[in-house]
Amino acid sequence: MKRRPQKSIPEFKQTPGLLFQPEVHLRMQKGINLIVDAIRPTLGPRPRQVAVEKTPRSKSPELLDNGGLIARRIIDLKDPDENIGAMFIRGALWRLYEKVGDGTASAAVIFQSVYNQGLRYIAAGGNAMLLRRSLEEGMKVILAALDEMVTPVTSKEMLARVALSVCYDEELAKILGDIFDLIGEYGILQIQSGRGRVIEREFIEGSYWSGGLHSKDMIRDIPKQKTQFENAAILLTDLEIEETEQLVPVLRAAMQAQIQSLVIMASKLSDKVLGVLAVNQRPNKMQMVAVKTPGLRLDDQMMALEDLYVLTGGERFFKAAGDTLERVTPESFGQARKIWADMNYMGVVGGKNDPLLRREQIDRLSRGYHLAEEAEIRTKLRDRIGRLYSGAAVLWMGGMTESEINTRKELAQRSADTLRSAIYKGVVTGGGVSLLACQPALREKMGSSPDPDVQAAYRILTAALEAPFRTILANAGYTSGATLSKIEQAGRGYVFDVQTGGIVEASGSGIYDVAAVQKEAAYSAIQGAALALTIDTVIHRKKPPVVVEPD
Amino acid sequence: MNDNNLQQLSQDFVYALAAPAGFTHSQTCFAARQSGLYISEDGGSTWQSAYASLNLDSPLSTTCLALSPNYATEADLLAGVPGFIMRSEDAGKSWLAIPLPYASSRSPAVPTALAISADYSKDGILFAGTNEDGVLRSADRGRTWSAWNFGLVDFNILSLAISPSFSKDETLYAGTGSGLFCSRNGGKSWKELNLPAGYVPVLSLAISPDFERDGILLAGTETDGLFISSDRGQSWQRLGEKEIQGVINQIILSPDFPATGEVLVAHENTVLRSSDGGNTWSVLLEAEIAALAAYRTEAGDLSLLVGLVDGSVKRI
Repeated sequence: MKRRPQKSIPEFKQTPGLLFQPEVHLRMQKGINLIVDAIRPTLGPRPRQVAVEKTPRSKSPELLDNGGLIARRIIDLKDPDENIGAMFIRGALWRLYEKVGDGTASAAVIFQSVYNQGLRYIAAGGNAMLLRRSLEEGMKVILAALDEMVTPVTSKEMLARVALSVCYDEELAKILGDIFDLIGEYGILQIQSGRGRVIEREFIEGSYWSGGLHSKDMIRDIPKQKTQFENAAILLTDLEIEETEQLVPVLRAAMQAQIQSLVIMASKLSDKVLGVLAVNQRPNKMQMVAVKTPGLRLDDQMMALEDLYVLTGGERFFKAAGDTLERVTPESFGQARKIWADMNYMGVVGGKNDPLLRREQIDRLSRGYHLAEEAEIRTKLRDRIGRLYSGAAVLWMGGMTESEINTRKELAQRSADTLRSAIYKGVVTGGGVSLLACQPALREKMGSSPDPDVQAAYRILTAALEAPFRTILANAGYTSGATLSKIEQAGRGYVFDVQTGGIVEASGSGIYDVAAVQKEAAYSAIQGAALALTIDTVIHRKKPPVVVEPD
Repeated sequence: MNDNNLQQLSQDFVYALAAPAGFTHSQTCFAARQSGLYISEDGGSTWQSAYASLNLDSPLSTTCLALSPNYATEADLLAGVPGFIMRSEDAGKSWLAIPLPYASSRSPAVPTALAISADYSKDGILFAGTNEDGVLRSADRGRTWSAWNFGLVDFNILSLAISPSFSKDETLYAGTGSGLFCSRNGGKSWKELNLPAGYVPVLSLAISPDFERDGILLAGTETDGLFISSDRGQSWQRLGEKEIQGVINQIILSPDFPATGEVLVAHENTVLRSSDGGNTWSVLLEAEIAALAAYRTEAGDLSLLVGLVDGSVKRI
C-alpha cells in the first residue's frame, strides 16, 4: 500500500512577533510617557500650546492646549512596542474627553504616576493582579472623598469662574456664565463664526430645528427674511407631497378647525404644490407656508416629529407607516402661540400641548442622557431636552483670522461642555487641591490594612494624587515641593492661586474644577493604569491598521 | 360708580383688591373687577371707576393689579386687562395701555398676576404672569414687556411671589397650572420645584417678609391644600392637613411674620386664620370669597378687605 505522502505541517510563522516581560512594561512605559509628556504642558491656568504639523487642508500648524485632542492627533508611534502603550493611554484619554469634555491632562499625569510607580512595585516582586484590585479599591475611596467636597453651582459668577478655569479668557468666560445661567444644563448653544473681532450672543425664544421653508416665495417678512405666524397650527408629517389634490383634505380640515395660519411640514414638495402654496396667499384668508421635516436621517426626523408632537399636540403622519393626508381631521393639527421659519430653521414658541406630557418626555430623555456613553447620542438627547425646555442661545466667536476663530470656537465648545457638567454635578476646589484633599482618606485606609499589596496600592495612589498639583505649578514656573508643604500646612479649605502666586481661601478664590470631570479623570486614569499594569505579553499583527479615531 | 351701583351688578367678580400702605389714614383702596378697575377713597364704602378718564364704551375686565411699594409718594398703579397692562402714574387719573406680546392676536394673553420689586422706585422691575404666555418682565416701570420663559414648562401662570430682597437675590416664584417654578436670576430662567402634591395647580403664593433670613414660602394648591417651605422651596411640609382640604385661593402673611406667626388664607368659602405659623386654624369669616387684601389698623392689628364673588367688598 502506497502511503500517502505526509503533508508537512507548515511552521507557524510568527510574523507579528511576540514581546514578553520585562520588555512589555518597559516599552509600553516609553509610549505612555511620550503621550503624557506631550499633554503635560497644557495642564493648569498657564498652559502652553502643542503645535500639530500642518495638514493638506490647513496652511498653518494647529495649536492645541487640549489633552484629548492632542492624544487624538498622535496616530502612530514608529516603534510598535512603544505604540501599544501610547495607543492604550490615547484610547483612555479620548474616551474621557468624549464623556466629560475635559480633565484629560489631569488624567494623563495621574495615569503616568500610577503606571510608573506600579512598574517599580512589580519589578520588586509585587503581583500585578493583586495590585490592580487594590488600586481599584483605592479609587473608590478617592471618588467618595471627592463626593464629600462637591459644591453646587448657584450663580452666573460661579459659572463664569468655572468657564475661566477651562478657557482662560475672561470675556468668553463671563458671556458663557451669563448664557448658562439662563439656558441651564440642557439648553441649546450654537457656536458660530462671528463677523467682527468680538464675541456676541443672542438668546432665542422657544424651540427651533434645522430645516426651514421649502421656498423663498414663502417668506412673508422680507426685511427679516422669515415668516412668523401667531396662534398658528402645524401639520406634522414626513410625507412627500407630489400632487395638489393631496392638500385638499388638509385644507378642508383646517377650514373646519377655523385655522387662520397653517404650517405644513413635509419632507418634500413638488414644484406644482409649492406653486399652489405660494400663490394662495390672500389677506383675510388662511395663511399657509410649508417647512421641511427636520433632520436628514429617518430616525432624526422621527425624533423631531415626536418632540414637536409633545410641544404642540399635533398628530404625526409617517411615510413609513403608510399614512396619507386623507386621514387629516380638524383635530390633527398641533397648536402654538407662534411658529416661525426662515430658509434654514423653523421654530415654535408656546406649544399648546399638555405640559405634563412635556415633563414626561423630558424625564425620559434625561434618563437616557445620563446613561448614554457615546458623545453623539448624548448631544442629540441633550438638544432634544433643551428644545423641550425652550432655551437656546447663539454665540458668535470673533477673531483676527479664521484659525483664531476656530480655536476660540473649540475653546468655547469645551468650556460649554464643562459648564453643563458643573451645573449637573457641582464643583470642587480647583488647582489639583481637591485631589490632594483625598490623601488623608487614603492614608487612613492604608493604616488599617496589613496587606502589603493594599498598602503599596494606597501609597501609589497617595503619591499619584499629587501629580496634577505638581504639574500645574511646574507649568506656571513654581517649585512644587515648597508650595506643596505650604498647602499642607494651610490645611483644608486653602488653594494655591497660580495667577497671584499666593495661598488663598478656597471659598473666596473662585478656583474650581468640575466635580464630574475631576471624578471621571481620576477614575479613567487609575482604572486605565491598573489595567495596563496587568498586560504581560504583546502580540503584533503583520499589518496593524492605523487607527485615526481612538476607540 | 357708587356702592349702590355695585349692588345692582350681579356677579361682578372681584379678581383682586389692593390697599396701599397708610390705608387707614388715606382710606384709598382699589378693586379689580370683571367690569373694570375701581377706586374707593372712603375705605371701601363707595367706589368710582378708576378708568373714568378713558371714557370706555364697554366694561374692561381687570384681572390683577399692583401698587408701587412707595405708593404714597409716587402713586404708580398697574392693572392687567386682556392683552395689556394699564399703567397710571397718578393713582388712576390718567392711563397708558401697554400692549403685551400677541396683544393684537385673536386670543391675547390675560394677565393673571402682577409682582412688583420692593426696590421698584430704583430698579423699576415688575412681572406679569399670564394665562398662556408665561411670565413677562418689565425693567422700566411697566413701559415695555418681554417674555423670559427659559425652563418654564407650563405657560399658564396662576400666581407669582417676589422676594422682598429681590434686588439682592433676584428670586421669584411662579405657580402654574401644573406645578411651581422658581427663578433665581430675576425671572430670566426657571427651574421646577418639587411640591409633594405633584403637578397640581398652584393658585396662591406668599413669601415671608423676612425671606432673606428665614427662606419661608407658602403655596396654596387647587386640590391638595397648603404647603410651607423653610428653605426657599427646596423641601415642603403640608400645613393644616385636618382643616384645609381643598382650594386655597389666596394666602396673606402678616407684615410681622414670622414673629407673630399670623397667616390668613382664603379656603373654599371661608377665611381661615392661624396665629402659630399654620399649625392650627380658626374660621375668621364664612362667605363666597373672591379676593383679599390686608392692611394694618391704627392699633397695629392686621385687618382685611374682602372681595366677594357677587362683587361687593367688606371690611373685617
